[in-house]
Amino acid sequence: MFGKRLKMAAKKAKRKKDKLIESLIAVVGEDAIYYEHEDLLAYECDGYVIHKGLPRAVVFPSTTEEVSQIVKILHAQKIPFIPRGAGTGLSGGATPMGGEVIISLVRMKQLLEVDFENRRAVVQPGFVNLKLTNAIAEKGYYYVPDPSSQRTCTIGGNVGENAGGAHCLKYGVTTNHVLGLEVVLPDGEIVNIGGIPDMPGYDLLGLLTGSEGTLGIVTKITVKILKQPEAQETVCALFDRVEDASHTVSDIISAGIIPAALEMMDKIAIEGVEKGNYPVGYPKDLAAVLLIEVDGIKEGIPEQIEKIIQICQNRNVREVRVASSEAERQAWWNNRKQAFGAMGTISPDYLVQDGVIPRSKLPEVLEKVAQISSKYGLRIANVFHAGDGNLHPLILFDSRVPGDTEKAVAAGSEILKVCADVGGSITGEHGVGIEKKEEMRFIFNDEEIALQVSIRDVFNPENLCNPDKLFPTASRCAEVKAVKRASG
Amino acid sequence: MSRLVAAEPETRNSNYIFEDPPDEDKFSACVHCGMCLEACPTYQETGLEQHSPRGRVHLIKSVAEGKMTLGEVFSDSVFQCLDCRACETACPANVQVGTLIEQARGQVRQAMPLRGWKGLLSRIFLRGIFPYPRRLFFLGTLLKFYQKSGLQWFCRKTGLLRILPDHLRQMEAVLPKVNKPVITRYPAVVPAEGETRKKVAMLTGCVMDVMFSDINEATIRVLTRNGYEVHLPRQQKCCGALQLHAGDREKAKQLARQNIDAFLAADVDHVIVNAAGCGAALREYGELLHNDPEYKEKAKNFSEKVVDVAKFLHDNGYRKPTGRVEKRITYHDACHLAHAQGIRFEPRKLLKEIPGIELVELPDADRCCGSAGIYNITNPEMASRLLQKKIASIPDQVELVTMGNPGCMLQMAMGVHQHHRKEQVVHTVQVLDWAYQRETEQ
Repeated sequence: MFGKRLKMAAKKAKRKKDKLIESLIAVVGEDAIYYEHEDLLAYECDGYVIHKGLPRAVVFPSTTEEVSQIVKILHAQKIPFIPRGAGTGLSGGATPMGGEVIISLVRMKQLLEVDFENRRAVVQPGFVNLKLTNAIAEKGYYYVPDPSSQRTCTIGGNVGENAGGAHCLKYGVTTNHVLGLEVVLPDGEIVNIGGIPDMPGYDLLGLLTGSEGTLGIVTKITVKILKQPEAQETVCALFDRVEDASHTVSDIISAGIIPAALEMMDKIAIEGVEKGNYPVGYPKDLAAVLLIEVDGIKEGIPEQIEKIIQICQNRNVREVRVASSEAERQAWWNNRKQAFGAMGTISPDYLVQDGVIPRSKLPEVLEKVAQISSKYGLRIANVFHAGDGNLHPLILFDSRVPGDTEKAVAAGSEILKVCADVGGSITGEHGVGIEKKEEMRFIFNDEEIALQVSIRDVFNPENLCNPDKLFPTASRCAEVKAVKRASG
Repeated sequence: MSRLVAAEPETRNSNYIFEDPPDEDKFSACVHCGMCLEACPTYQETGLEQHSPRGRVHLIKSVAEGKMTLGEVFSDSVFQCLDCRACETACPANVQVGTLIEQARGQVRQAMPLRGWKGLLSRIFLRGIFPYPRRLFFLGTLLKFYQKSGLQWFCRKTGLLRILPDHLRQMEAVLPKVNKPVITRYPAVVPAEGETRKKVAMLTGCVMDVMFSDINEATIRVLTRNGYEVHLPRQQKCCGALQLHAGDREKAKQLARQNIDAFLAADVDHVIVNAAGCGAALREYGELLHNDPEYKEKAKNFSEKVVDVAKFLHDNGYRKPTGRVEKRITYHDACHLAHAQGIRFEPRKLLKEIPGIELVELPDADRCCGSAGIYNITNPEMASRLLQKKIASIPDQVELVTMGNPGCMLQMAMGVHQHHRKEQVVHTVQVLDWAYQRETEQ
């Protein structure tokens, strides 16, 4: 049916078909390509909606070989292209600047191999993150990186963005779980990288993971799978003051406890999730909530929980308790993991930032975020992976109000400046993409950026593979300048 | 060049030129997070953004912004949707995708009315037959004649049925035996057994009362046995869900007003529905008529009284049966019960408490079976892909597949038949009814 419709579209536009489209059809067939204007509209942005751009076409290859052939055609004709997974990215990494060919990897969604003995799995890039855990849970295994979008995002996209998640505090982010990659380089050559732990030579796996699609297209991924912890307990702590919650976070880590996850939401974030689809019934007048999860050997858990509760009480917690059942624990997590989307219930648009700061600076930075919020007159909800100092300020705005979008972008940029100034970073897990290109200058000087670009040029000398992302462009586009002006 | 999207006027350039367009406050609640993608059966099958809830809402927004026309691409996107509402369960921001889709279909159908035999059939059934119980019952009588006179046997033997498309032929093969509708056989008020605990009215439905009047009978028996007086308002009509799904909002609204009048006149505490799709539609009359000054309030009051039979029994009390039904069964979540009404554990609880029943969970029980109103007739290929998946996930050695929606029952019966399987497809209330009947046999 869908194939048929795609074919119909192709027939209708037969006259309009150019050489490029014809050569792509020759590779993937007529039912695996979109190139008519209205068919492309749904691909004009990913989860970051502030920038939109139309691709020239979207192709849906089914094999590595097809990806390679497509890339070869595009490379020969000097046409830029973008790899795309589920399009849940939050920095515009899969959003066209305009005119690129999107190579969508959703049809490459097989779980190719699970090797329990060596604790690894091989997946295609379009395989959905959570499906891996679901597929191996029965044998007591799981895949650790758990971005909040794990129900829909793809492991290929996770590799591109070096995705994190709530449980990366103890176990590390995607790069700590990738063992090997098959990559189609920007000229179409297929190469294999890694495969065994501690490969001699440069750490190319580390370089490719998180390269945001600028060094090639990942077509096969070997990842680590871990045995599920023997036991886990989750604590929920409710605070009347954000400062108390922030200090609790620092105190827990300083006490030598490494929680599997340590999450925080502030008042506005709580308002959003409570109005959303998975409310847990947090009191309305709460200033902050902490979710603290510890896991490991059964015998070690109670002592840690006791310590955590003690720390919370020392910091004036209003209420603290341990999840009484798996259902309650799941309810807490569902509520937390839906936080971004739930902002839709209190605001028509949001812009999420992804700053990282030293944990000890949390109260100071939050104070500054509040100042930025009142300066721009925009509400800001705060959701953090507090344990690793990864902040997600959600700037609430209404794109229909003239000037609001510009204000949100400017406020976001200012928050990142604050993060950079206290010795932090502009992104923890969402990537730079289109969104934070300019903010790269908060951390790197021109020379450092030029050096990184020269590394990109080794793989992608003509800047065809996901162009104009990740690094600031020499001549910034007029609109961005306008935004900067608006921010003063 | 990409552009910074700022302050685009949403309505000034809108391509929605007809009345009752998708509500801006509904589509602007979507923040494009993508949490709905994998919940969507059509996205799972195709991986295409315009066949995902997020993509559909994006296009609905694009038409409002004047970036897209009410043309082929848009029509295809909104009409391939099953309206199963799985995305609404997944959505963190409670975006009412189903309502948006229905509103969008209303615009599409006015911009590009169905022509040819499709248009003719749609007009005959959705406007000419379903809204009129007598015509529908007459059709039922014809069907009964077809089944009983030997005509069905003749058609099947001679291969005459081969003129039907494949999916319609499959459907013909599993048509239940037609009985006389309860609305014409039962009194307007069926008294409760023993003391009357509550007065309730029952929607007998259009297709339900023709194809599955035995389920209606079982529902009445179970309700009266538990002390509920059952009213069967004579003026009630088809719920309008099929018309609404097909984009005929005008007819759907007309039916809604007629039903509101019929049921409010009965002056009962609850309106009981045993078909998930109809129940969801009735519960959304408030939404459907929110721009109707005369009916707005009435519709809201009415919708609050509507409740699915399993939830009604669970919430208002029923006597646990002592009759045994020795069966290993599974339960399929009808989309319009689980996703549209949030009813999941009540029917399971009802079933589990029947002595002798062993309930085995169906993997992905709340994934659409492909029935989706008349979707299996209008979009047979996608419907059949979903049905294959559903049938394949039925656990081994299950004797009954239970559910709370007649559309799903027909679809599942078709799946069981196609795969030469032995499972019996039944309504939740039927199993409960058997258990009560066994009490007297024991």
